[in-house]
Amino acid sequence: MRSTIAFLILASEESQGGFASPFEVNFGLFFWTWVIFILLFFVLKKFAWPFILRATEEREQTIAKQLEEAGKLNAESKAALEEHKALLAGAKEEAHSLINEAKAVGQREREQLLEKARDEQLQMIDRAKREIDAERERAVNELRREAVDLSLAAAAKLMQQRLDSKADRKIVEDYIDSLGKDRS
Amino acid sequence: MTLQEAPDIGEVVLHHTADAYSIGIEPFFSLSWERWPDLHLGGLTVNLTPTKHTFFLVIAALLVFLTMWIAGRLLERQRAHERAPSGFANAIEAMVLFVRNDMAIANIGADGAKYAPYIMTLFFFILYANLLGLIPHGATATGNVAVTGALAITAFFVIEISGLIKLGPQGYLRTIFPRVPGLSGAGAVAMSIIMAPIEVASKFVKPFALCVRLFGNMTAGHFVILSLVGIVFLFGHLPGWNWGIGGLAALTVLGIMLIEIFVAFLQAYVFALLTAVFIGLMQHEH
Repeated sequence: MRSTIAFLILASEESQGGFASPFEVNFGLFFWTWVIFILLFFVLKKFAWPFILRATEEREQTIAKQLEEAGKLNAESKAALEEHKALLAGAKEEAHSLINEAKAVGQREREQLLEKARDEQLQMIDRAKREIDAERERAVNELRREAVDLSLAAAAKLMQQRLDSKADRKIVEDYIDSLGKDRS
Repeated sequence: MTLQEAPDIGEVVLHHTADAYSIGIEPFFSLSWERWPDLHLGGLTVNLTPTKHTFFLVIAALLVFLTMWIAGRLLERQRAHERAPSGFANAIEAMVLFVRNDMAIANIGADGAKYAPYIMTLFFFILYANLLGLIPHGATATGNVAVTGALAITAFFVIEISGLIKLGPQGYLRTIFPRVPGLSGAGAVAMSIIMAPIEVASKFVKPFALCVRLFGNMTAGHFVILSLVGIVFLFGHLPGWNWGIGGLAALTVLGIMLIEIFVAFLQAYVFALLTAVFIGLMQHEH
């Protein structure tokens, strides 16, 4: 008897009609499932998830922001480092070029000075030579003029006396010799 | 007490797991209603009469909403008082966060947060529907092919549309006509076309598997429990054995019930997780 009652309880749905087994497909239930699921989805999306997830999402946003900031700062500092390196390299190069330029200028200056000194020296020597030459020429000329004068004077003297060629010549030569003795 | 009175257990099991146009806590209370007229949409006969499973889906949805709404309000209040989340709200928050982070975002990737509400709704809705089938006089709506089928079709559209959005029309076509590695020219085109039916089939197989897995798991558990209870009715009248059989069956049923609780969580997890994985696969298709 007990089993019969229990069975009746279990099978009581049979009397109310419906479905024979869970393998029957009720297409109407597709519709209801969609309606309920989609309604639940939107209701939860509006009234439940934001409040449950707010703390987490805020934290995530904060972390994302901080990460982004850190990335930006990192990039900035890298850029600054690059810039400084470039500056340093530039400064070194500039210093090198300055030293080189100074060396070149010094070299050129020295060469110019040397050149100038050599030129001046040569000019001085030249001038000295020219002066010596001129002096000598003047001396020779003077000597020559004096010799002529003396010759003329000697000739005049001779004219006053006799003009004997051999003896005259001797006289003149003696005279000139005597002059030479006087001079030295 | 003769053998002729032995009930047809198979019939009872099928009836008990089947849908019905009635709800009730027999024998105290019962409500049944008439079936509405059928609607004919093309060749398909649709009957929109709400059933017992519809009712339990509504209950599941209401309970999910209440749980989440209360948890949300409690969390807001705790936050307003600058208190750490605690108790019920904290437990729900932890579960929701697990679904969101470790199921949705971990498997979908960068766009995971966008699809998380869908995965979370899916998980908790299925979980509640599964659990409602375990309480006495409850019915397992997820043990109905129509329910799991509808959820799987939703998943199908979410998966495919997410791919269409992420990959664009051209990229999406590539999921049907795949780029075959190591081939070029006519060979690649031919292989691509040969692969297309397989790719299309795989798109349908995934949700189909989701549908059948959930339905099968939820129904099978009930079959086992009802069959074990049926043993009592089949052999309980044997003199001298009845107590032993009753006790053993009750113990076994208790064990299966505990497993069923685990299965309720597991199948909700599997359905939601696989949906997330399939969305993720579409997102990263090349």
